[in-house]
Amino acid sequence: MMDTLCIEHLSKSFGTHKIIDDLSFIVPEHAVFGFLGQNGAGKTTTMKMILGLLKPESGSIKVCGETVTYGQTKTNRYIGYLPDVPEFYSYMRPFEYLKLCGKITGLSDQKIKCRSEELLLLVGLDKVNKKIGGFSRGMKQRLGIAQALLNEPKLLVCDEPTSALDPIGRKEILDILCQVKGKTTVVFSTHILSDVERICDRIAVLHNGKLALCGTLSDIREQHKRDGLLIEFSSQADKEQFLSFPQIIPLLTNAENTDSSLIIHTRSLEKAESAVIATLAENHLLPVKFEVQEPTLESLFMEVVK
Amino acid sequence: MRSYFAFTNKEFCEAIRTYKLLIMAAVFLLLGMMNPITAKITPQLVASFMPEGMKITIPEPTAMDSWTQFFKNVPQMGLIVLVVLFSGIMANEFSHGTLINILTKGLPRSVVILSKFTMSVILWTASYILCFVVTYAYTAYFWSDSSIPNILFSVFCLWLFGVLLLASIMFGGVLFKNSYGCLLFTGGFVILLFLLNIAPTLQAYNPISLASNNMALLTNKMTVSDFKLPIVICCAAIASYLISAVALFNKKQI
Repeated sequence: MMDTLCIEHLSKSFGTHKIIDDLSFIVPEHAVFGFLGQNGAGKTTTMKMILGLLKPESGSIKVCGETVTYGQTKTNRYIGYLPDVPEFYSYMRPFEYLKLCGKITGLSDQKIKCRSEELLLLVGLDKVNKKIGGFSRGMKQRLGIAQALLNEPKLLVCDEPTSALDPIGRKEILDILCQVKGKTTVVFSTHILSDVERICDRIAVLHNGKLALCGTLSDIREQHKRDGLLIEFSSQADKEQFLSFPQIIPLLTNAENTDSSLIIHTRSLEKAESAVIATLAENHLLPVKFEVQEPTLESLFMEVVK
Repeated sequence: MRSYFAFTNKEFCEAIRTYKLLIMAAVFLLLGMMNPITAKITPQLVASFMPEGMKITIPEPTAMDSWTQFFKNVPQMGLIVLVVLFSGIMANEFSHGTLINILTKGLPRSVVILSKFTMSVILWTASYILCFVVTYAYTAYFWSDSSIPNILFSVFCLWLFGVLLLASIMFGGVLFKNSYGCLLFTGGFVILLFLLNIAPTLQAYNPISLASNNMALLTNKMTVSDFKLPIVICCAAIASYLISAVALFNKKQI
């Protein structure tokens, strides 16, 4: 399978400030790639370089096997781009705008008409015929997706598509992205972690111009598994009783102990789990909560950008 | 080619919906009517403001006075309105970020410049013709025996100077990315041309004469051949402005 996007040793600085420092990663076909990072981490800069709007200092970018060149970018015919705040000609109507975009990309009139209708329906703007100047942020964002998908791109690049939207608007955008998932490769930058968990299958975290983390979401979770076991009791007395059992004491070498709950960290989680359950059952101690702790994306993110 | 027509079409749509077309047409229609009328009524106006008993002989106005007004008003008011109105033509695209979508769709950057230039030249030409036709019609109506030598050529010279200003706006707009910079650049360019005109050796080449010596042409103080060099220089300047605007735009980060 060919990689849709391939970035190798990319660097870029503004003045003396190095934004991107020897960045390399690949995005395979049909992946939904979440590109994370703090504000100012260089997500937009990277995306603009992919689109040939900014000139990289060194390194190469390949889209569908073709190298991106700055300025006149042939590779853009494979790409649909949704900027963070998409701007349109405010005096145009959505259909007119898509027609203009279609003509520029070289679609036939017939194709423009049917694609526009299809996409406006997809993004829920099919019944809107006012000028874009009167659009809300969410409507502009949706029109942005429609224009990005117009030429059936192999790669859809979205720059923080959900950051400025209310919860309903966000859900709508994510739903649309989910719908196009199978047809196109999506690269989308964000700092909203729950969005990533909802739709991405791969992520990369950008920090200090380098990748702090990169891979499929499940692999990363696996690698950063913390092996924690949380047991919460209804009262402190129950907990004290539990702590005094001889089978439990060896597990407590690396434990966090709070009011009525206990977190056990251990190398062999399964052994600890069965020991704890057996002890609880034998002594008729009923915990309120028993949980194997999974690393959340948030904790991972905080860990790598520290 | 198809993208060029599509983008030019968009430019016209913009000119209509942002009232540029309306303003241009209104201003130049007004100018066209003012030229002959001011020429006609100035003597009466002056006479009516004269204190009692004072007498001053004002020659009867002629068609030539009407054209004097034309070649005074259009370069002064008309060209200023033209420059101010079109100074934001590149700047608005930069500041609103509207070009990003369009350029990432694969529109060649040269097409952006050429489309905008095409639209502005067509709009300028149409408004200018409107102004000329109105002045011509009124002048013919007021002074029926009016045949002016070289009138069409003189009108053409001023038109060409307008096109030069538009080309300068394109370059200034790309260079500064904002409308003030663009206005200053074009204003500075005109001032530079005026300053160069101080040196007598340069006068024969200076394109500014296309907008300042029109009356000399009508009164036969200058001949058509005197304008050949400025016209050639002017065309060369238009071409080099456009070529450098495209070259510069290709290098700009957006």
